[in-house]
Amino acid sequence: MRGQYFREISLGCVFLVLLGVLGIFAPAFFELQPLLSRLTAQTPAVVVVVGMALVMICRQIDISVGAQFGVCAVLAGLVSASGAPLVVVLGASVLAGATMGALNGWLVAGLGLPSIVVTLATMSTWQEALRLFQQGKFVNLPVGVQWFGLSQVQGQIALIGGAVGFVALAAWAMKNLTLGRQIYAVGSDAEAARLAGIHPRWTTIGVFISLGGLTGLAAVMNIVQSPQVDPMAGSGLEMKVTAAAVVGGVAVSGGRGRLWGVFVGLLLLSTVNPALTYLRVDSYWEKAIQGLVILLAVIADRFRRPPKLSQ
Amino acid sequence: MNPSPRSFSRIVDRPEFTLMIVLIVEVIFFSVMGRNFNTAENLANLVRHSAEIGLLALVLLPIILTGGIDLSVGSLLGLCAVLFGVFTHDWKLATPLAACLTLGVGAMAGGFNGYLITALRLPPLIVTLGTFSLFRGLAEVITRGTKTYGNFSPEFVALGRDKMLGLPVQGWIFIVVALVVGLIVHRSTFGRSFRAIGFAPEGARYAGLPVLQRVAFTYVLAGVVVAVAALILTARLRQARADAGMGYELQAITAVVLGGASIFGGIGTVGGTVLGVACVAVLTTGLKLIPAVALQGIGSELGSLLTGVMLILALALGSILKSLAVRRARDQSVTSTQPHPIL
Repeated sequence: MRGQYFREISLGCVFLVLLGVLGIFAPAFFELQPLLSRLTAQTPAVVVVVGMALVMICRQIDISVGAQFGVCAVLAGLVSASGAPLVVVLGASVLAGATMGALNGWLVAGLGLPSIVVTLATMSTWQEALRLFQQGKFVNLPVGVQWFGLSQVQGQIALIGGAVGFVALAAWAMKNLTLGRQIYAVGSDAEAARLAGIHPRWTTIGVFISLGGLTGLAAVMNIVQSPQVDPMAGSGLEMKVTAAAVVGGVAVSGGRGRLWGVFVGLLLLSTVNPALTYLRVDSYWEKAIQGLVILLAVIADRFRRPPKLSQ
Repeated sequence: MNPSPRSFSRIVDRPEFTLMIVLIVEVIFFSVMGRNFNTAENLANLVRHSAEIGLLALVLLPIILTGGIDLSVGSLLGLCAVLFGVFTHDWKLATPLAACLTLGVGAMAGGFNGYLITALRLPPLIVTLGTFSLFRGLAEVITRGTKTYGNFSPEFVALGRDKMLGLPVQGWIFIVVALVVGLIVHRSTFGRSFRAIGFAPEGARYAGLPVLQRVAFTYVLAGVVVAVAALILTARLRQARADAGMGYELQAITAVVLGGASIFGGIGTVGGTVLGVACVAVLTTGLKLIPAVALQGIGSELGSLLTGVMLILALALGSILKSLAVRRARDQSVTSTQPHPIL
């Protein structure tokens, strides 16, 4: 029981140490307004990483989220520019994401294809279709969409509060609801789960649809932060959220991981870049350090949990 | 020795046969629709532009055969290109020596992946996701994100532009690597063990195969050939930058999977991979020669889009045909159809 939360606790400690170092050497990091802006910028990724964690706990992976994010953002922008209210924009974006997720889920669970290859294919398909359609043009949003028509600070607090509340709710559901436990069961052993009366196929399709829907939600959370929609906004998102999930303790072999850990993992990874700036280290170290963090996280994990005998 | 109907159906069932037909259809289509498709110059261009990704696909095949994956090849290509620039420009080494050092770096980077995957038994997907970030990051650190190395010696640049016996130099390199990988994978007991490992790692171990050593070898081989691809790319573009080879890993994996390899390991051929590379290469270069497409300048986007669609269709059709065949054979053991992603 004591070692159960080891990953989350040690990750939290690393994060606190980083914050402590920043507090001593670069107190400017904690100035309220820039800090608020940086946190707000991460809220879409927080929502997506929860969906990605579900998919990975279910023993699958989805590398098409970045492309889905771009498609949803542009769609939301176009719907919004046509004068539709925010609810319709949100609905369209979530529906589009869920549809793309359903396609992934059907190919993976319905046809029994490997998720990494399926989502590799859908990634390039959506990405290039979007590029053909939009030609890299930004979409201008009408007045009143930015920050939901609230003031900037109100909008930022709403987004941060919403994202944190969502993680809390999802973490609670994963721990306490049958639906959440099913995902762990299918991820640890699909055949055993099937014999226990769970439908592994529907669970797998379900997690892909949720990830798609959450990506649609995240895309809307992203476009309200600026007056324009960047069609390239989602590029690299898949790597970022996968890395955050792995650092946060989700096993790629499925069945293991907690959403709180994933949340801290994302905070840690996304603090690296601003921390470098504030500590006056050149920012081109970012990718190398992120790579090292991922490798260290899996290596540390391996020494705590010796491999099973097979392989 | 007339081919019996049975052996004929065996040929038809192979993915190489389908790819061959796709390739022939593509060539006919672009000969009719495109401008100057059937020219020697276009063929040379096609080879030049697809040799790098082709090399990556060739060495990803052994890795995928063992049930592994390497997402870091594109990043390693960037790192090798930049280091080659450092060796020739900052260290002022002679080009051949710098090239050898670059190959050494590739081998070491591949060895690093292999060490983490075999000695520490970490999942290849995550290890190479980490090094995907790490290698690209190191390339950016070395160039401080912006520096570009140019002005390579004319003999070196010739590697990217000249022809030997009518074929671009990189075409010959591709052929040599394809033959070597083909000999290893299909004509040696050493290489046949890759498949055994991919099918059943535990069984291969009980059969006395040095599983970890063989798996590590595939990653080192990939590292060396990625370094070769980095040299070719640098010679062709006449410059080395930190963003060289970005996204190549996904295109190379696409070619391997199109070529009929199973991402779960155990299944795949060098011939199929070469055909997969050719299908993608003909499609992407051919599209740019169609006047309507060229006019709008959307050739590369359309090419990538169609590659993605082609991959989905190939996978879905393969799966549906297989399940139909299974049903026809009234095989009852279809309970374990749940996919197992690579670990």
